[in-house]
Amino acid sequence: MSGEGQVRLLYRAGVLGMAVFALGPILYMALTAASVRPDFLSPGTGFEFTAAHFLSVLRTTSLHFPDYLRNSLVVSGISAALCVGIASPAAYAITRLPLPGRMLFLLCILAVSMFPPVSMVSYLFRFMGTLGLINTYAALVLPYTAWILPLSLWILTSYFAQVPADLDRAAVVDGCTRLAALRKVVLPVAAPGIFSTALLAFIFAFNEFLFALMLTTDHAARTVPVGIALFEGLHGEIPWGVVMAASVLTTVPVVLLTLVFQRRIIQGLTRGAVKG
Amino acid sequence: MRLVLSDVGKTFLSLRGPVRAVRDVTLAIGEGELFVLLGPSGCGKSTVLNLAAGLVKPTSGEIRLGGRVVASRDGKVFVPPKERNVAMVFQSYALYPHLTVFENIAFPLRVAGEKKGDIGHAVAQAGKTLGISDILQARPAELSGGQRQRVAIARAIVRKPALFLLDEPLSNLDAGLRASTRGELKRLQRELGVTTLYVTHDQTEAMTLGDRIALLRDGAVVQTGTPRDLYERPETPFAASFIGSTPMNLLKIPVLEEGGNAVLCLGETRLILPPGQAARVRRLGTAGILFGIRPEHVRIARGTADRPVTGTVTSVEDLGRESLLQVRMGEMSLSVLTGDKTVREGETVVLDIPPEEAHFFAEGNGP
Amino acid sequence: MEEPPGDRRPLPPDVRERHAAGELVRGYAFLAPVSAFVAVFVIVPVIGTFAGSLMQDVTFLPKRFLGPGNYRAMLSDPGFWQALRFTCLFTLVSVPLELFLGLAFALLLAHPSRARGLLRACVLIPWAIPAAVSGRIFQLIYNYHYGLANYLAGLIGLSDRPVSWLGSPVGAFAALVTADAWKTTPFVAIILLAGLSGIPGDLYLQAEIDRAGVLRRFTRITLPLLSPVIVVALLFRTIDALRVFDLVFVLTGGGPGGSTNSLSLYGYHYFLSGDFGYGSAVSVALFLIAFGLSVLYVRAGRFARELA
Repeated sequence: MSGEGQVRLLYRAGVLGMAVFALGPILYMALTAASVRPDFLSPGTGFEFTAAHFLSVLRTTSLHFPDYLRNSLVVSGISAALCVGIASPAAYAITRLPLPGRMLFLLCILAVSMFPPVSMVSYLFRFMGTLGLINTYAALVLPYTAWILPLSLWILTSYFAQVPADLDRAAVVDGCTRLAALRKVVLPVAAPGIFSTALLAFIFAFNEFLFALMLTTDHAARTVPVGIALFEGLHGEIPWGVVMAASVLTTVPVVLLTLVFQRRIIQGLTRGAVKG
Repeated sequence: MRLVLSDVGKTFLSLRGPVRAVRDVTLAIGEGELFVLLGPSGCGKSTVLNLAAGLVKPTSGEIRLGGRVVASRDGKVFVPPKERNVAMVFQSYALYPHLTVFENIAFPLRVAGEKKGDIGHAVAQAGKTLGISDILQARPAELSGGQRQRVAIARAIVRKPALFLLDEPLSNLDAGLRASTRGELKRLQRELGVTTLYVTHDQTEAMTLGDRIALLRDGAVVQTGTPRDLYERPETPFAASFIGSTPMNLLKIPVLEEGGNAVLCLGETRLILPPGQAARVRRLGTAGILFGIRPEHVRIARGTADRPVTGTVTSVEDLGRESLLQVRMGEMSLSVLTGDKTVREGETVVLDIPPEEAHFFAEGNGP
Repeated sequence: MEEPPGDRRPLPPDVRERHAAGELVRGYAFLAPVSAFVAVFVIVPVIGTFAGSLMQDVTFLPKRFLGPGNYRAMLSDPGFWQALRFTCLFTLVSVPLELFLGLAFALLLAHPSRARGLLRACVLIPWAIPAAVSGRIFQLIYNYHYGLANYLAGLIGLSDRPVSWLGSPVGAFAALVTADAWKTTPFVAIILLAGLSGIPGDLYLQAEIDRAGVLRRFTRITLPLLSPVIVVALLFRTIDALRVFDLVFVLTGGGPGGSTNSLSLYGYHYFLSGDFGYGSAVSVALFLIAFGLSVLYVRAGRFARELA
């Protein structure tokens, strides 16, 4: 066999291994969710399809899964929108206005995103308790926004920096005020970047666990990751089919987002990491 | 409209301290004039343009547009760009990438809130003037450099500005296109009759385009005048070396007084200066004088000449129609532009230096 | 003689004021909302936790200042040392593993292929799903009775009896590391992939002309030029691994016997039981470790860049 053929074979094998590694557990999850018995691998049993687990996740009111999913979507959606809404003007100022110390500001903000959440959560628990916000959307949206803001700002800044300053100037000469230039030129041109940032912020908020665990108490505000983590069977045994069905349903939105917006997500992620 | 800058200065603050980008610039640009700001990069010419546009506030002085004060440090007046009715063409063209060509050109009119029908008409007109009617629905990313440039100009002229500002508009074009666009720009400016401020670092562009030129250096105006003025009567060695396709020779040569004549000592040869030149030299004081002569004014005399100076050719650069020679004479070296294609490296030549073409500068103004 | 460009003579004071006032205030106003959010919901809580760690703050007990008491107790608490040991071990094992796998994935993904976009999206999926979900999936995979892990082990004849993965400290540790690697390798791969695409192709061409082999090209061109990006990936991953919480919470719950308690989880248990002072002390310890490491990395990164 030629050297080139060997390399190609090695590449194919590598890709196959990578795909199995990434998708195997997902497939296993889906199969368990759709199987009558969770032990379909064991000798003497086999896979038998059922939709019962999915239906039970969606219909059993005591599980509150639809509530969790709705809470997650609402909280993540609002957090992402807030993040982008707050970080965009800041990114604009950092890239456009001659503010002394703006790079230092950016670095300090980024350092904040390195803080472990456990070092904030007890204080936030008491703070939200004082405000009477425990188990409300606000108790999650506010910390989420603050926690995801640094990375959003970092990514947005690199997107805004890519919009040439001459465009602002042209708009101003063409009769716009600074604000109108921002609205009519800078924001539309940076829109794809803003969208990527919002997407990442959404995924981060959707996946957050510790704050949600501590700042919510029941289905009024509890999010899906916590809901899935706390699923218990009636008799101590974990109802695997149901848990996996819930997992599949949780995974669907993020997987769809990932598949559809793969390029944007990768772009945003690498903006945040590589450009530093 | 007339544009007048009086003692305008601009100081930027940077972390390392204030930087004076423009200092005490005074210019008066007449109605319909094409005025060129010429200078090396970093000389502050773009800042002057931005000051005129209103993109930058002056830190001193006053700017008037058509008799109206649009910016004054002392009078605390500042009219934003929006209310100045100026148009600008950027070096990068600065086309809005999210808009079509039509929308780009229509942008200033839409911002001004003009009627839809008028806008369509004006855009079509501007498109026709610049020969881009067929690409109005394209996006900037799909256009060639030349087309983008035309769109940028169309966007600038569409609303009949009081002042037309061009910031190195040709420097992103390739050489052939640059020459033809230059001529077209001049024609367009004449047709529209709009007062124009044109920034460039390219002296050829300045010479061919400008009604008048202001030469800038380190944020200050060095000399103002017609292209002819600047070419024929440079006031400083800097102006002398910056204007002209090959820089002027500048040599430190003693000038002596001999029998009532001012005499230039070129090696063994002595050149008697005509009375006008002599007067200028005397004004400068004969000690420490820089003598300047343009390469195109030195002639290769071969055989004999009235005022023979000999030198050795150290290099020959063929420029096509002409050749640029470096001729070594003792300690000094002289550039010579000649149509004579027979001169070879190493050859000894006789130079004819006409004293009436000589320039003299005080040495302290060194290049 | 004209002055050189960039004249730095002091300005008249009124010019300075003009710059300083109005425009600057308006400029900084754009940054105010970000600062306010981060201050109120991140900085203040962290300071609150620092302050709380110096208090006796237990539900139903009177609150009082303790000074370093909680820390003293922490240092003589075997549970804390166990959590610290696990957290460090988890980071030391999982981060290099993810970096290695991530680099391999990045090299595979960088290869031009028609299915490149689809492949990238597939690899990205584990990163996008919540850690709680991946914890559940791996809990099932390592299930004693009918998990995939024991099934595969039996299939290739690794062991004739099922392994009690989650019932043994080593097995639970392995389960956590694999689950974490599964979830975060994509992130590392994507970042390294971006770094790879930033390496000019000319270099490889030149290396080929110089007849450098695949391995040599990798060690002489790819690795050195990728090193700044590797440092970034390392930083992100280390900080993330140190504060691991959700995966452990779901997959092992810290068990068996507290052997997989991470510092985050250990601190959380004290919050849950109402001892906020002690929990805060544990959180502060984790904070300091993470902060110290990030400073170290940034230093090392700069040092590496200066060497290059």
